[in-house]
Amino acid sequence: MSNALETTHLSKRYGRTWALQDCTLALPAGRVAALVGPNGAGKTTLLHLSVGLLQPTEGLVQIFGCSPLKQTTETLPRLGFVAQDHPLYKDFTAADLLTLGRKLNPRWDDTLARAGKLSGGQQAQVALVLALAKRPDLMLLDEPLASLDPLARREFLRTLLDATVESGLTVLLSSHIIGDLERVCDYLIILSASHVQLVGDIQEIARTHKRLIGPRQNVDAIASTHTVIETSQTERQTTLLVRTNGPLFDPSWEVQEVSLEDIVLAYLSQQVTESLSSSSQHRMEVVQ
Amino acid sequence: MIWVAWRQNRTESFVILGVLVLSSIFLLVTGLNMAHDFQQSGLSDCLAHNKQSAICSQLATAFTNHYSVLLAVAIALLLLPILLGAMVGAPLVAREYEQRTNLLVWLQSISRTRWLSVKLVLVLGTGLVVGGVLLVGLSWWYSPFSQLIGSFNPVAFDFSGPVLIASTVLALALGIFAGTLTRRTVFAIFLTLVLILAIRLPVEFGLRSNYEPQITVTWPLAQADHPPAPLGKQDWSVAQGFLDAQGNKIDSVSCNGAQLTPQQCMQANGYRGFYLSYQPADRFWPFQWIETGIYLAISLLVLGATVWLVRRRLV
Repeated sequence: MSNALETTHLSKRYGRTWALQDCTLALPAGRVAALVGPNGAGKTTLLHLSVGLLQPTEGLVQIFGCSPLKQTTETLPRLGFVAQDHPLYKDFTAADLLTLGRKLNPRWDDTLARAGKLSGGQQAQVALVLALAKRPDLMLLDEPLASLDPLARREFLRTLLDATVESGLTVLLSSHIIGDLERVCDYLIILSASHVQLVGDIQEIARTHKRLIGPRQNVDAIASTHTVIETSQTERQTTLLVRTNGPLFDPSWEVQEVSLEDIVLAYLSQQVTESLSSSSQHRMEVVQ
Repeated sequence: MIWVAWRQNRTESFVILGVLVLSSIFLLVTGLNMAHDFQQSGLSDCLAHNKQSAICSQLATAFTNHYSVLLAVAIALLLLPILLGAMVGAPLVAREYEQRTNLLVWLQSISRTRWLSVKLVLVLGTGLVVGGVLLVGLSWWYSPFSQLIGSFNPVAFDFSGPVLIASTVLALALGIFAGTLTRRTVFAIFLTLVLILAIRLPVEFGLRSNYEPQITVTWPLAQADHPPAPLGKQDWSVAQGFLDAQGNKIDSVSCNGAQLTPQQCMQANGYRGFYLSYQPADRFWPFQWIETGIYLAISLLVLGATVWLVRRRLV
């Protein structure tokens, strides 16, 4: 399976601050991926690096095997991008914007861009249609849902999903919450404090992550075979969130399923504790 | 991309067109009237045959007095290229950064270089047209004055040759550069004006009179202030004044002795004579091309920097 997006040790520094550090991940073609992380985690930086709007300080980024910076003639027609707050030319009408798309994109598809589809000419919807009618192979959206009301969110996601079903489009959309994306995404990238925390298939992630509840005890035994993401201890009991690396045998643990939202939260809070102890051990975990 | 650039600057284009039409009408109406007056009064005849009669100098004075206000208005049209630089040049790229539409347009299927070059060609092309129209209009309008007081002087030089087109291109180039550098429209407009002044003032008041060494003639006090070889109307009298005892050039003389005539006073203070520095008429066109070259070279430089900035400094 080929990768739509691939980054290797990708890093971006502004002055002394690392916006993104040592990011290695692959997004297989045909996936709909959620890029989740708190504000300031480096999501926008990763997206901008991916579409060639930024130059990496270190590392490599490839779109279908091409550099988005140097091979723009190959990558630009294959990329769809909706920037944060979906900027559009303010004095352009929706029809003007579609004409812009038609004039600037050889692969433009007018049937995808009928003005009738614009449902009231909402800005986000226009920006989405503008990017979709370009018929990209990889679509990147930066916090597309952040400024939308629930109804508009549903409309937006439906337009996006219809397109992926019809064309096998690969999608990467960022968000600071997972809630809305759980239904539409099948791939997850967790980014926090400028590091990738987790990359993988959502079902696989849901299957391998468990909550273990048991009497208060030392977690070393379980940590030797499985990866402990989060530990919380009360006087009587210990609760763990672990990524299992095989079957769980220890009968002293009660095993529970965990929601995706809790998994995401666990990774995000893990990063906070880690950066406090400045350990870098489990920064990059890839589930395959 | 041409359509996009046109659509983005449609309003500006109509405003520019309107201003050009109004300016042309103004120049045409007042210019025809003035040329008619110039012919009918006999002033044209006086100048053509170089008559030195009292009636001729009276006519010249009357003509100058009558049209001096209009001349000032016509000269004010030279502000248009500067306005063009600040109002069209500065926002060209700055507005894209400011409204973040660069994130939209840079991800269409055309390269960023292509996007910028189309914008540059269209806007600089507009600059050429505006400069050209002003050049044709103003130099035609000024032609009676040119016969009367010449074109080789600090003011008329600006609109009597290719320098006008080059300074229009320069204003736009500086505006576009300032906008790309600051990425803020208002700041860019301000910076554009500063840059235009910082380049044009030294050129006009320092460099221009020295593209070739000035010719200086001196003569003794006894000849009073009549130079041995009087200047023609098309020569540019750059500076004139007095020579002190050591032969230094002095612009003005202060005489305190109330009873003395100026000449006696100057003699008493040891002044030696008069001097006059000028640029002869035949240097007008070489000077025009030199200055055109300077402005176009600076334009190319800042446009190169603009392309570099847009390609290099992303987002």
